[in-house]
Amino acid sequence: MLSILVQRSLHAVLVILVVSVLAFLLTSLVGDPVASILGIQATPEDRAILAERLRLDEPWVVRYLSFLGGAIQGEFGISYSAQRPVGDLLLERIPATMELAFSALILSLAIGIPLGVFAAVYRDSWVSSALMVGSIVGVSLPTFVVGILLIFLFSVHLGWLPSFGRGETVDIGWWSTGLLTWSGLKALIMPALSLAISQVALIARLVRAEMLEVLQTDYVRFARARGLAPRKINLSHALRNTLIPIITVSGIQLGFLVAFAIVAEAVFQWPGLGLLFLQALGNTDLPVIAAFLMLAAFFFSAINIVVDMLYAVADPRLRVKVALGST
Amino acid sequence: MLKHTIMATATAVALAMAAPASAETLRFAGTTPALTMDPHATNDFVTTAIFRQVYDSVVGLSLDMELVPSIATSWEYLGDNTWRFHIREGVTFHDGTPLTAEDVAFSIMRQKDSRFYTSLFGDVAEATAVDDQTVDVVSNNPDPILPRKMSRMFVMSRAWLEANDSLEIPDLGAEGAEGFTVRNANGTGPMALTEHDPSVRTSFVRNEDYWGDFPGNVDEAVYSPIGSGPTRVAALLSGEVQLIIDLPLQDVERLENTDGFHVEQEPQLLFMQLEMDGTRDVALDTWTNDGEPITDNPFRDVRVRQAIAHAVDADLIVDRVMRGDARVVGIPSVPGFGGYQADLDQPWGYDADAARALLAEAGYPDGFITQLNCPLERYVNTEEICRAVAGMLDRVGIEVRVNGMVWPEFARMLVNGPTSSFHLIGNGANSFDSQDTFTATMMTRDADANEGFFNWALYSNETVDQVSRELPVTFDEARREELYRMGMEAARDTISAVYLHQPMITWGMQDTVEAPIRGDATLTLQNVTIGE
Repeated sequence: MLSILVQRSLHAVLVILVVSVLAFLLTSLVGDPVASILGIQATPEDRAILAERLRLDEPWVVRYLSFLGGAIQGEFGISYSAQRPVGDLLLERIPATMELAFSALILSLAIGIPLGVFAAVYRDSWVSSALMVGSIVGVSLPTFVVGILLIFLFSVHLGWLPSFGRGETVDIGWWSTGLLTWSGLKALIMPALSLAISQVALIARLVRAEMLEVLQTDYVRFARARGLAPRKINLSHALRNTLIPIITVSGIQLGFLVAFAIVAEAVFQWPGLGLLFLQALGNTDLPVIAAFLMLAAFFFSAINIVVDMLYAVADPRLRVKVALGST
Repeated sequence: MLKHTIMATATAVALAMAAPASAETLRFAGTTPALTMDPHATNDFVTTAIFRQVYDSVVGLSLDMELVPSIATSWEYLGDNTWRFHIREGVTFHDGTPLTAEDVAFSIMRQKDSRFYTSLFGDVAEATAVDDQTVDVVSNNPDPILPRKMSRMFVMSRAWLEANDSLEIPDLGAEGAEGFTVRNANGTGPMALTEHDPSVRTSFVRNEDYWGDFPGNVDEAVYSPIGSGPTRVAALLSGEVQLIIDLPLQDVERLENTDGFHVEQEPQLLFMQLEMDGTRDVALDTWTNDGEPITDNPFRDVRVRQAIAHAVDADLIVDRVMRGDARVVGIPSVPGFGGYQADLDQPWGYDADAARALLAEAGYPDGFITQLNCPLERYVNTEEICRAVAGMLDRVGIEVRVNGMVWPEFARMLVNGPTSSFHLIGNGANSFDSQDTFTATMMTRDADANEGFFNWALYSNETVDQVSRELPVTFDEARREELYRMGMEAARDTISAVYLHQPMITWGMQDTVEAPIRGDATLTLQNVTIGE
């Protein structure tokens, strides 16, 4: 078990290093930070002074090493546009994105799994056919379209939910949460829903396919032969065995949810990492762009490790395989 | 646990308690957040419009963008590159301390130290408080428009900055903690800052001790950035905000037809223009009709420039692309800029036949192929404008390939080159005086001498150069008028660029809200009234 962890962690470090190089090279292609900070109407002297101050005149390898050195200590420099430490900016934005992504994940599982089970168990009914067709629509609707539709229905016409922002937040240490206030919860509903909708469809289809397979297996047939109640067979025998792939997919999905959160955050002005990243791109705010990409790489790697571990726990065969492969 | 909303500075709490019970609160939204509350640390125009509520500039701006007394009640030129400003008596900062001439002089020097924005303020050498009510500003060269530049110079309290360890501007590229002035403010303006959370909201409360007029009835105001256009409109329609800055053009008609809302428009102090290579021997990204790289520069021929000016139908672009929300421009200046000449402002007029004849005369009867570099954001509907221009030029034989570029890429092409022979760009003036347009965007480009640095297409004309040299050292008003006219006529005749239009600032608001738009796109909270 430990060897898997060590191996996976080394992989993760390698991935993060590669991303850091790519992020750094990419940021030098995005645009000219000096032009972004000063505007194009700045004198050449101002530009030269600022370029020197930002150390843009040094070779990129030198700048990369000092960037990496800072990153290891958690120092990402100062945001060009906000003029605040990048670490602070990210830390302040992480709770909003995490709450949004996890809410969307829970929402998509809570809706998707029952739908999938239903569609598998009653696979010949017209309702489940309708569900599956509907899920295709769900997958293909872009998040921003769903978001705008929700806003016009629930904010403009019904006036029930706020169209933007996070509502009132409460600080618990450095973590600011919107989950403890009424306005915070109301503000969370639409962004989480618009983010969850495409995932619901995905989960439902996956659960259905897995269930159909499991329902054909011998032990389910035997359980039926033993005269167990269909409800018990479906939920505790069949569903439990479909959950293993669902765990993996959920992990990867969480990564997608964080990534797609950018779109939902832009539509709902949700003050999370995605919105910060979009603004940073527009302003060529290099320290923020680089730090965000590093954080994303770290996050994806961490999810992968956790998913691998869960997999190993759930499926002993895998543990053996990896152990053999590593020796 | 601490609720964000009850966080406020002691000053603000005191002010808030002084406010009457039936407080009128204006909630308004714009595109981007106010980055910082330090007025000397940025030139971002959204941010400037926000901190203008809190900080007063040395010289004020009326709703028509005319210079009016503010912190300085009057000013005069003493000769010897020295301007004298007389400072208003009895002005206090929001923390209750009186404003002194010392604070004004200090603020000018603090801004100057930033070294980032000498383009805004020219080369001020020294600002000194002569006595309690007088400040002398000395520049390295004569500067007739220094008072206009002072309308962007904001006054901070020296004692307050000292007490909070912020005498220097929070520095870019520096390490360490966040500067105090990023989230906190202590100005003399009509509103005092209660809370500034850069990512979420900026809140104000009325300054009961404001020295100036406060015709409106706003007691509190909250600004929220909402980047997505449709969401911003939805927030207005649902009543979550009462006013939005920057209403998307496609929503103008719809909002006007919705009960309870109205749209306000005002021309922006910026005009769009097509710049054409005026100097190079061989035009960049330009080909002959057979697709061979061209060996000369057609744009250098004034007849080709005139042909393009006649071929592009600016009226049609305003009608169709801008949906009427723009004003056609005929000289390199707009109303509200110092030096604007109303009688000269005559567009060239659309005339495709004349354009074809001019092209033939210039030796391009079959036209040529060229690339139009087009910034995709920053200005309104640029991509559509570029496509319309391409279609119009195609009709006279010039095949245009539109090269859309995101803004950072476009900006880099200009400041690190410039390497463009034909592009669309917005032209403003840092200090809202046409003198800037001449010296910065039309004078023959000599980057080392800092002449015509923003003349991205290398336009060059002797008369314009002469005007650009003489204006900055001419204090006589009559002579200045003469120079402005001379320069603008020359620029128009030689097509310094194809001037297109002035986009509109477009705001949407509830019918109960009356808010005048100032040309610099600033919402002046003291002039806002909220009715029943």
